[in-house]
Amino acid sequence: MDLKINGANHQVDVPDDMPLLWVIRDVLGMTGTKFGCGIAQCGACTVHVDGIAIRSCQLPVGTVGGRAITTIEGIGDTSAGAKIQKAWIELEVIQCGYCQPGQIMSAAALLAANPQPDDDAIDAAMAGNLCRCGTYVRIREGIKHAARA
Amino acid sequence: MRIRRVLVLIAGAIVVAVAAIVGWMVFQPGPYAFAKGSPVDLAAYKGRPPTGVPPELAHADAATRGEYLIRMADCEACHTAKGGSRFAGGRPFVLPFGTIYTPNLTPDPDTGIGKWSDAQFLNAVHKGIAPDGSHYYPAFPYASYTMLTDADVLAIKAYLFSLKPVHQANRPNTFGFPVNQRWLMAIWARLFNPDHRFRPVEGQSEAWNRGAYLVEAAGHCGECHTPRNLLQALDQRRKFAGGVAEGWNAYNISTDRNDGIGDWPPDDLAVYLAAGHAKGRGVASGPMGEAVALSLAHLTKSDIAAIVTYLRSVPAMASGLPKAAGPAPATPKLANIDNPVGKRLFEGNCVGCHAWTGAGAAADHARLTGLRSVNDPSAANVVQIILNGRGKPGTPKPYMPSFARSYSDAEIAAVANYITARFGSTPSKVTPADVAAFRKEN
Repeated sequence: MDLKINGANHQVDVPDDMPLLWVIRDVLGMTGTKFGCGIAQCGACTVHVDGIAIRSCQLPVGTVGGRAITTIEGIGDTSAGAKIQKAWIELEVIQCGYCQPGQIMSAAALLAANPQPDDDAIDAAMAGNLCRCGTYVRIREGIKHAARA
Repeated sequence: MRIRRVLVLIAGAIVVAVAAIVGWMVFQPGPYAFAKGSPVDLAAYKGRPPTGVPPELAHADAATRGEYLIRMADCEACHTAKGGSRFAGGRPFVLPFGTIYTPNLTPDPDTGIGKWSDAQFLNAVHKGIAPDGSHYYPAFPYASYTMLTDADVLAIKAYLFSLKPVHQANRPNTFGFPVNQRWLMAIWARLFNPDHRFRPVEGQSEAWNRGAYLVEAAGHCGECHTPRNLLQALDQRRKFAGGVAEGWNAYNISTDRNDGIGDWPPDDLAVYLAAGHAKGRGVASGPMGEAVALSLAHLTKSDIAAIVTYLRSVPAMASGLPKAAGPAPATPKLANIDNPVGKRLFEGNCVGCHAWTGAGAAADHARLTGLRSVNDPSAANVVQIILNGRGKPGTPKPYMPSFARSYSDAEIAAVANYITARFGSTPSKVTPADVAAFRKEN
C-alpha cells in the first residue's frame, strides 16, 4: 500500500483495516503523533488528511487512498503550521506536552481554513482536543497570536 | 323484555365486531402472496431447488453445510447472551409484558437440547411446540421457520449437536397475567402459524425463489421489519413497512422510494447486506449490525444477490417518513438551533469523526447526513447508537464508543435533538424520560 505522508511516498505492507495511527507510529516510526484514548475522544492522535484534521486512531488506513497525510513532523512546512508553532513557542503554550501534537494539528487546520477565527470558531475546532494540564486558555491565545502574525 | 332484547342485540354486535377484527388479522395474505405466478409444492417445482445451501457449497461436507444453514437462519444472535457461550441462550428480550430469555441450544442433556429427537426438534421449529408439549412464545420466529424444509432443520440440529455442550439452565420469563398463560399460545399458533413448508412460485426466477426462501423462511427479516397487529402477528398487508426491534426502529425495507429502499441501486443493497455499510447509506448497527455480522456477512455472493432480487420485488409501502435533508453547513453556529447543551456535547464528543458538516471527517462510515436514522423524527436509533456505540475499538469494523455511562439522560436527549435538528429534516423532541426508557431496552 502506498501512502503520501508529509510530501514523501511510503510503501507499507499492512492490513487495510489497521488504524492509520498504528501505521504512522509503529510501522513508520514517526512517533510525534500520540496515542491517547484510542477511541477518537481525546484528539492526541490528530493528523491531517487533505488538510482536514482527523483522529488517526479511528481511521482504517485502507480508506486513505491517495490523499495527502500531514503529521506533526511535517506541519511546520505549511504556512499555517509554521505560524502556530511560532506562536506556541512565543506564548509558551505547552505544559506537559503530551496532547500538544494533536492540539497543534487541529489549530493549524483551523487557521488554514479560517485565517481570522473568533472564539466560537476556535471552540468549535478545538473542542475535540483534551488537555489534562488545562492549557486551553493559552491555546486559544496562541491561535489568536498566530492569526495576527 | 325490551331491554333484554336490546342487550342481546348489543352483545351480538360486539361478538360480530370482534370476530370481524380477528378475522381481518387472521385471514391475510401470505408473506409472498404479492408475487405473480403459482406457488407449488417443493417436490413439484421444476427449477433448481431454492432450499438448502447455495450451489457454491453443493459439494461441501455436512459440517460446513450445517454451519451455513444455521448462519442463514441466524440462530446465534438470539441464542447467545452478551459475553456468554455461543448458542447457550440466556439473552434477555424486554417486551411490554415482561422479559423473556432465550433457551440453551447446545447439546447438554440436562439444560440444552441433548436429549431431543429429530421429531421433537422439527416440532419445535415448525410448530413452536416443546418436547413437553408446551407452546413457545412467538418471540421465537417459528411462524417463519415453519417454511424451512425438514432436511434444512435437521442439518441445523446436526450442527448444534456437534457443538460442545454447555451446562446452563434456562431462565424463566417474567411475563404477567394473562400473557403468562402458555396455552394461549396454542391458539396463537393455530391462528398465525401456517405450518407448511416453503412453496416456490412457478413463474418467478430461480434467484427470486432462492431469495424468498432466504428472506422469509431462514432470515425471517419480516419479524423485525414488518409491523405487528394487536395480536402480535405480522401484518402482511403492511409488509416490510417497518417495525421495532429491542427499542431500535427496524426501518421500512419495502420498495417505497422515500420510506423504503426503492431508490437504492442493487449494488448498494448487496454491499450493505454483506458488509454492513454502503456509501451514503450509513452503517448497520444494533440488531441489524448483528444480523450482518452473524448471518449476512457469511452468505455467498449468489445468495446475497438472490436476497436483493427478492427484496426489489416487494411492493412499495409508504410509512410516512420525512424526506431526508440535504448537506449541512460547515459553520458550527446555526441560528435556528437553540440547544447549547446539545451543541457542547456534539462539539466535544462527535465532531472529531462526524464533522460539522455531518459528512464524516475522513470516512463515509461516520456520515450523518442523508441517513434514515437522522431523518427519523423519533430519533430512536440516534439515541440507541449514542447509548450502545458500535463495534470494538482496534478492529477493522466501524467503531463508535458507547456514551451510556458518560452522560446523563438529559445530556443524551439534548445531543440527539441537536443531531436531528442539525442534520435531519425534522428536529426530534427526545426527553430525558425517553432516554431512561431506551436504557432499559438493552
